[in-house]
Amino acid sequence: MAKPNSTNLGGMIWAYAVLAVFAFISVYPITRIITVSLRPGDRLLSTSLDFIPDGATLDNYRVLLFETPFLRWLFNSLLVSVVVTITGVALASTAGYALSRYKFRGRNSMLGGLLITQMFPATMLLLPLYVVLINLRLLDSYLGLVVIYSATALPFCVWQMKGYYDTIPPALEEAARIDGCTPWQAFYRVIFPLAAPALVITALFSFMTAWNEYVVANVVLQDTAMFTLPLGLKMFQNDMSTQWGLYAAGALLVSIPVVGLFLILSRYLISGLTLGAVKG
Amino acid sequence: MLEGKTTTAGLKVQQRTAAQSKTREARQRTLFLWGLLGPTVLIVLAVVAYPFVYNVVLSLSNMNIYHIRDWEVIGLQQYASVLTEPAVWVVFFKTVVWTLVNIVFHVGLGVWLAVILNKAFIVGKPAWRVLLILPWALPQYITALTWRGMFNYEYGAINLIGGVFGMDSIAWLTSPFEAFVAVILTNIWLGFPFMMVVALGGLQSIPGELYEAADVDGASEWTKFWKITAPLLRPVMIPAITLGIVWTFNNINVVWLVSNGGEPNDQTHILVSYVYEAAFSMYRFGWAAALSMVIFGILFLFTQVFLKKTNATEAAY
Amino acid sequence: MARVRLDTVRKVYPNGFEAVHGASFEVQDGEFVVFVGPSGCGKSTLLRMIAGLEEITSGTLHIGDRVVNDLAPKDRDVAMVFQNYALYPHLTVYDNMAFGLKIRKFPKAEIDERVREAARILGVEQVLDRKPKLLSGGQRQRVAVGRAIVRKPEVFLFDEPLSNLDAKLRVQMRTEISRLHSQLGATMIYVTHDQVEAMTMGDRIVVLKDGEVQQIDTPLHLYDHPANQFVAGFIGSPAMNFLSGRIDGSGDALSFVADETALSVPLGASDASLLRAHAGQAITLGIRPEDLYVAGPTAPNGSATSRWTLDVVEPMGNEIVLYVSSGPHTAVARVAPQPIPEPGTDTDIDLALDTSKLHFFDQETEAALTETPTADLA
Repeated sequence: MAKPNSTNLGGMIWAYAVLAVFAFISVYPITRIITVSLRPGDRLLSTSLDFIPDGATLDNYRVLLFETPFLRWLFNSLLVSVVVTITGVALASTAGYALSRYKFRGRNSMLGGLLITQMFPATMLLLPLYVVLINLRLLDSYLGLVVIYSATALPFCVWQMKGYYDTIPPALEEAARIDGCTPWQAFYRVIFPLAAPALVITALFSFMTAWNEYVVANVVLQDTAMFTLPLGLKMFQNDMSTQWGLYAAGALLVSIPVVGLFLILSRYLISGLTLGAVKG
Repeated sequence: MLEGKTTTAGLKVQQRTAAQSKTREARQRTLFLWGLLGPTVLIVLAVVAYPFVYNVVLSLSNMNIYHIRDWEVIGLQQYASVLTEPAVWVVFFKTVVWTLVNIVFHVGLGVWLAVILNKAFIVGKPAWRVLLILPWALPQYITALTWRGMFNYEYGAINLIGGVFGMDSIAWLTSPFEAFVAVILTNIWLGFPFMMVVALGGLQSIPGELYEAADVDGASEWTKFWKITAPLLRPVMIPAITLGIVWTFNNINVVWLVSNGGEPNDQTHILVSYVYEAAFSMYRFGWAAALSMVIFGILFLFTQVFLKKTNATEAAY
Repeated sequence: MARVRLDTVRKVYPNGFEAVHGASFEVQDGEFVVFVGPSGCGKSTLLRMIAGLEEITSGTLHIGDRVVNDLAPKDRDVAMVFQNYALYPHLTVYDNMAFGLKIRKFPKAEIDERVREAARILGVEQVLDRKPKLLSGGQRQRVAVGRAIVRKPEVFLFDEPLSNLDAKLRVQMRTEISRLHSQLGATMIYVTHDQVEAMTMGDRIVVLKDGEVQQIDTPLHLYDHPANQFVAGFIGSPAMNFLSGRIDGSGDALSFVADETALSVPLGASDASLLRAHAGQAITLGIRPEDLYVAGPTAPNGSATSRWTLDVVEPMGNEIVLYVSSGPHTAVARVAPQPIPEPGTDTDIDLALDTSKLHFFDQETEAALTETPTADLA
């Protein structure tokens, strides 16, 4: 603990000022979304900087929910994201465990290979997959999307899980095996529950990968009814003059749950990320 | 089975049991191992390795809108075409600038804010942290689309706020240089919290006695930062910076969505958005595949050299 | 309950390191056997091979009448207490103890009965609902033992279970485990690097060094008749004194003469007959600190007196520990409380060696030259 009088007052004011400025910068764009979403339809193109606009109304939300395919897109996005999350957690938790606990030939190249996939430009995988999907007539299907998202999220998740398992003492599995567990039981009855913090991060990361993805979806999905939320919101935004309010209302509704989750879990995030980085 | 025999048998029988047990245990172990790894290996092979190979083939082919089914391998022509196209070099230069500026600001702001946030006298740390993490929490495409709105010439918040301070409105999205600045500003905004979080984690693992010892020696804040904080943050930051560089180099979302696909006039591109356009707007598949390979090659070489120079591999494995 | 038999059990790691070289011995039904040795001697590896946590490279391992080389840990019917307890952090104390029984699909009522009985024996009934995080070190230790005893296994294995406890608690748990052994009458194998634990707890001790079994014996026989210089030095605290020298003289009048000093010890008749063949050879003399006396009326009959420089004196209350030297040799003596001169480079003291308690070791093989063969046990 630093002694309070060892830090000078100027330094403290300066520190708080910096934090305040950056906190403002961080929050401001979000307040703009809120403001625009509350504007009445005839006043969307306003030059006002007021937080609560004149004649504030929830009309945009009503239109969004009942007169656009927003709920349909929401369902599509949820479907894709949940499937990707389940796949991601199931695969990363098992593969990470194998990479953490077993020394086998090819282990290091496997870990390195997973890192290398992070260097692939989006198009490098997307282009061949696009050609394959065309040939298989699988465009406008969620299967392709789910598989691509899972595979994109996996490398990071596997590393994350491996880093966490590395911190769990192997004696726990040994105790479990002597207590009567098969290797698999020792994993899922003892180690798996203990990895909960890392599993939460993995789930969050997988979910956000799918929930927030635009570029791949833009190529794979062409039917408006099949759209996921990012595609749908982008559609509103294409034509600024008419649907800017709908976009803002939608953006807010889409962001609140993920931002909420993210902030609640940010405590785990700090330890998780550094564990993965340092002890990986 | 062999139990009765081995109790009385000689060394030979015993050795055989040992050898048998080894293969059986090894078999079970292998089975379990592949049970754990198999699905991941399969999906990564299917969605990453197979397309990678296919991409190599495409990059050697003439596939485009005219030859979508009757394409053939034509050798290295696409690579030659990529490397001789002047626009590619301009975009490459922009990509390097984009990456460098972003990373410098991400790391600089991130570490700076983390150091401030880590000071003992700051009250309400969790609240500050939550506010500062917001840009990372917000879905990237929403960030990009929202900033695009804020950069609007007439109604965007940036010009309006500038106007309050008596500045002239800037044509953010319609002039090439300003549009490039706009995408960079957006990306700096959404990227600094990641580095801040990583740095915070690193700072928490630095023992406080080091600073106390430095205080006893009469070191200034500045000296303490460069002699204690920076070197001890290094092992945590190097892997994060490496990842950050790769992610930024490849970050198509922000560039594509803020500039609405390269506006104005396809001037606002980095390499990946350029490839994306070549592939999915102009259907130059072979050419785009070749450029993808070039991008991957650049990043692969870069990370090898960077990790070697910074001796960070032991931290990565 | 069951006996455990090892036949030339070896462990070779993939990198070629041989952790255990062909260990062969038998642990009797209901016996408490301690594996002791310095770190890296292979004692834990040996225990883990018995548990099934390490593969056996070659040789056979019997538990009861079964060859278990091939069996998974769960099928060997052993229980183990780990050095760091390895309690499941996400389960309560009750569930930690019940875990093994649940996995083995015991009926609920029986699980409950066994867990409560174990908790009562170990005095952890009050904390059954707590998570391990909230327990003290001693409580964790008890829960770890409890997890083993509810299973009523054929063999209990302990891997340095007390090394994380503070000194006082260690002594207390030591007696508790010993008491548990006599209550349960179970076969127990206990690994430790602490020779005091080995001496106080074991029916028999297996001393290991560099993957090789040095000696297997009862504590007292091990102490009085170490098979080689390593065992002699490892067992006992302070350690046995060693002096290098040679055997001089002829006929029955042999004596040990230490190198580079005037120190000379006449040999008793039995030692002399055994060492005659080694006359003139380099040899090491061993003598325990308590077999050295301050020369005078309290020294036993038939002791040999020699002069030493007194370096350090440690009064312990019930005894005095003297650190002495003579030329290249140093020695430690534990003597009864009595007036002792101030130590210093000029302070000399005459010490008497009890010549009936001498040990002799070959300098090349380090094997004991005058010990009677290992006591018959069974």
